[in-house]
Amino acid sequence: MKLRVRINGADHELEARTDESILDVVRRELGLLSVRETCGIGVCGACTVLLDGEPVSGCLLLAPLADGREITTVEGLGGDDPVQQAFSDAHAFQCGYCTPGMILTAKRLLEETPQLTEDDVRAAMSGNLCRCGSYVKIVEAVLQAANA
Amino acid sequence: MSDPRATGSARYAEDFELPGMLHARIVRSLFPHARVVRVDASAVPESCIVLTPDDVRDLSPYGCQIEDQNVLAERARHVGDPVAAVAAPTPEQAEEAVPLVEIDYEQLPAVFDAVEAAQPGAPLLHETAAAGGAAAYFAMRPQPGTNICHRFRIRHGDVDAGFAEADAIVERMYRIAGAQHAHMEPHACVAHWDGNRLELWTGTQTPFSMRDDLATIFGIPPEAIRIVSLPMGGSFGAKTFVRTEAIAAALARKAQRPVKLVLPRSEEWQTLNRHPATVTVKLGARADGTLVASQTTCYADTGAYADCGPGVAQKMGFAAPGPYRIPNVRVDAYCVYTNLAPNGAFRGYGQMQSTWARERALDTLAEQLGLDPVELRLRNIVRDGDVYCTGETLHDVRFAECLEAAAAAVRWSEGRRGKGIALVMKGMQTPSRAAIAIERDGDDYVLRCATTEMGQGAKRALSLEAARLLGVDVARIRFPDPDTSLVPYDTRTTSSRSTYMMSRALAEAVRDPRGYGEIRNEGGLDPDTGQGIASTHWHQGAAAADVEVDEETGKVTVTHLHTTTYAGRVVNRLGAELQTEGSMIMGLGTALFEEVAFEDGQVINANLSDYATPSFADVPTRFTYELIEEDGADVHGLGETALPPVPPAVGNAVASLGIEVDELPLKPETVLAAMKVRV
Amino acid sequence: MHEPEWLAPASLEEALALKAERTDATVVAGGTFVGILVNQHLLAPTAFLSLGGIRGLRFVAEHEGELRLGALATHRAVELSPLVREKWPALARAFSLVASPRVRNRATVGGVLGDADYASDPPSMFVALGARVVVQSRHGAREIPAEELIVGYYETSLAPDELIVEVIVPGGPHRAAYRKFRTRSHEDRPSVGVAACARDGGLRVVVGAVAGRPQYFPELCTGEPASIAQAYAEAIDPIGDISGSSEYRRRVIAVEVRRALEEIAA
Repeated sequence: MKLRVRINGADHELEARTDESILDVVRRELGLLSVRETCGIGVCGACTVLLDGEPVSGCLLLAPLADGREITTVEGLGGDDPVQQAFSDAHAFQCGYCTPGMILTAKRLLEETPQLTEDDVRAAMSGNLCRCGSYVKIVEAVLQAANA
Repeated sequence: MSDPRATGSARYAEDFELPGMLHARIVRSLFPHARVVRVDASAVPESCIVLTPDDVRDLSPYGCQIEDQNVLAERARHVGDPVAAVAAPTPEQAEEAVPLVEIDYEQLPAVFDAVEAAQPGAPLLHETAAAGGAAAYFAMRPQPGTNICHRFRIRHGDVDAGFAEADAIVERMYRIAGAQHAHMEPHACVAHWDGNRLELWTGTQTPFSMRDDLATIFGIPPEAIRIVSLPMGGSFGAKTFVRTEAIAAALARKAQRPVKLVLPRSEEWQTLNRHPATVTVKLGARADGTLVASQTTCYADTGAYADCGPGVAQKMGFAAPGPYRIPNVRVDAYCVYTNLAPNGAFRGYGQMQSTWARERALDTLAEQLGLDPVELRLRNIVRDGDVYCTGETLHDVRFAECLEAAAAAVRWSEGRRGKGIALVMKGMQTPSRAAIAIERDGDDYVLRCATTEMGQGAKRALSLEAARLLGVDVARIRFPDPDTSLVPYDTRTTSSRSTYMMSRALAEAVRDPRGYGEIRNEGGLDPDTGQGIASTHWHQGAAAADVEVDEETGKVTVTHLHTTTYAGRVVNRLGAELQTEGSMIMGLGTALFEEVAFEDGQVINANLSDYATPSFADVPTRFTYELIEEDGADVHGLGETALPPVPPAVGNAVASLGIEVDELPLKPETVLAAMKVRV
Repeated sequence: MHEPEWLAPASLEEALALKAERTDATVVAGGTFVGILVNQHLLAPTAFLSLGGIRGLRFVAEHEGELRLGALATHRAVELSPLVREKWPALARAFSLVASPRVRNRATVGGVLGDADYASDPPSMFVALGARVVVQSRHGAREIPAEELIVGYYETSLAPDELIVEVIVPGGPHRAAYRKFRTRSHEDRPSVGVAACARDGGLRVVVGAVAGRPQYFPELCTGEPASIAQAYAEAIDPIGDISGSSEYRRRVIAVEVRRALEEIAA
């Protein structure tokens, strides 16, 4: 099928199968390699993308469900986004594989809830896994971005 | 501009591609032990390349410490043992081809428990002992006619006489479940042949071991192989030695095209896990708490192939007595084959298992003697200049400091109900060798060394150290991905050795006019007596935990977790903190719930929903640690130190409530069962 | 592999017609459960019937004192709705405990009931609250009590041509609780889920994640909390798996049902 989707601010018409995930499409068609498959069952959050601004699991989102909508990956934040900056400053990563998903989840969290406590961050981010265990510094980064 | 990890521009082994490459999948055994009678690939489309045992008959068996594994199995020894492989133009086509390869099996008797497998008469996995592998740094002691592929012993003093003079003796058996590394990026590699030269891009902690093992397998000189170790999305020991690379290379040889192999998540549990273990500890002490004898028997379940299991069992054994003065010590550690998936290196490397057993036994002994567990430990703790049961003298010893700091962190002196502490004494790869070359490129310095990056921050640490030694800004240091054709030999990036060893090699290189530095640490142990030098450098730490137990369900909540580790001189502050935090969190998973579950040899929780790993909300509300630092001291490895003491600190905290649990993980169900026999 | 057809009706009528004609099609609402099955190659349908284009099924509203949830309302919409939080707080809580915000942003009210996943949190809460599920086919609509919708593992009492269109939750004064007991990580699925609701009409206690369908025994819902809990523990034959053995779950049922009842009595 032809998928019409706005990705990181640009309109695209992409080749996609109805039974493939948006993760496979953006990696293959656009080389957006920050969207990564770890668990493949929506548990870990390494594949997080924003769909019309809301975080969703890219590994579960059948490509046609993105038709006519807007997808944001971490590449679309440009690099100077306050959340990206806060993660860099707090060094809130080790291997970095989960980081794009963490940043996108945090981004939406900060829009929704500008006044955040440490507990809010932990609760809201808990569905994103980091096997390196960088959680403490990720919470610091999100709180830093909230106060930026 | 933000760090590449934050912008999405970071690249990993999984992202590597070559033009015209094929995509591979592995066809795996459905049975735990079976002879492969027939492989029929006639239904596979012609666009696919199929690799069957016939195609690899010219290849030599491999194994980093024992060469007991074939590239494809003609006798499958575990569920998931690779029997064939396919390569196709797309990953989807490769996946579709897998079920089209028909395999007939003749089933054989299987064994799934290491203690059972070690007994005479158990079904044998490998009838004859294979040759030692390139990465074996000690003599193997296989026990003929059994599944024991290595036995390690410590004989120090007279244990029987020691127990005879003891006023109190504790003897208990401890079991530790297997675990999965669950590194977020799967195993991924690309193999390519250029005539008789093999090039391989892979996420590996052990580029030179990989090169040497592949040279053995393909019967070509090591110089004809180039390994590039790409950044890894986590490893924790999983991406060591040959995992999928030999199959990718054999497929590429047959296809005459590059082949990429990325493991599907579920196959990670069939590729490598952490050794399940059974450890029996017997401790004897005088009434005043002075330890007089220690006896440990370890069974490390290495699964179907030895991999580095002999080393794991040996370290489990030599770390078992712990940082205590004990005049009489006996250790027997066995590395045992079973029909489970291979078990290998895992953060903590065998020492987590024996640390759990010993530190739990010490608390039981303290209880029996009516002594405070901290007091009991302090009374026996090793000090600078003491001689360990291996005969080596210990230097720069900080155990007492670590222990006292950890106890203070949980306000031990104000009452110890719900609290537990534990110590770890962890060895580092000995002997080993590290080398580095510094090249000048305009204003920049290029570090050529084999230290690999898996998220532990080695590149950052060594770049900072180079900048400091050279007196230049760190922005002028470049650190390309290790390429065995360009970098000098290094043993491997394991056992928390790299910052320690490589920073010393770096200092040599800065002094050397040619910019080359090399460091060796010499030593090793006699496997029959355990005498020699186990480790030229010991990692030292303590953990303390404060817990609550739901007495009706057995659920344990850790309300405060603390570790104190001896850091020596810290090179990379943030890296040291992150590695410590990560070790503690991984230790918590091991303590509370991580477990590879089997049914008839088949893993039944091979996905990240049924295999749980710690999340944000699992980090205790109070989560603290300190690094004991010393200016001008040696750099101390920190990649693993804070992991092994966490499970026993939690277990001891639970025991302080009268609930003695001998088994890891401390699942609610296990804790509840222990409460029924509450003391 | 053949590419599945993507059927995307723009209206409920069209969707019901397709549901009747295309019995081969897999229904997709938020697509999280179907996404897992397809991504893991456990499902390869010939066609998908996507409901996302249907307008008017996303409502979260109060009507004549009852809560009405459109089948396409997301978990997140229910969880965050000020209306639900104020008047049906236990329902908001049950939805808030499902998986992660990523999943809750997509997963729908109709989906979580239609999938009939034994370990989902909301179905038990719906049963405890006495919810009715409105289902519709070309021939008309009917209401099914929530406890009669899920009949076994991944199995419902829906006719092949029916779709869930709405869930109605009775209003009025009530006290309800949802307790999710996990044995491992905080992100784990429940080992035992307990939903309870007390209102004038009586008490409803429902236990989830322990059997193919939410466990509800009206005849056991009278007496003291501890005795009801004990009766539930004896009446249920719990599954055993990685989240807890059958024996252990029975024990937890006795504890958690009592705690849920104490919670609503407090």
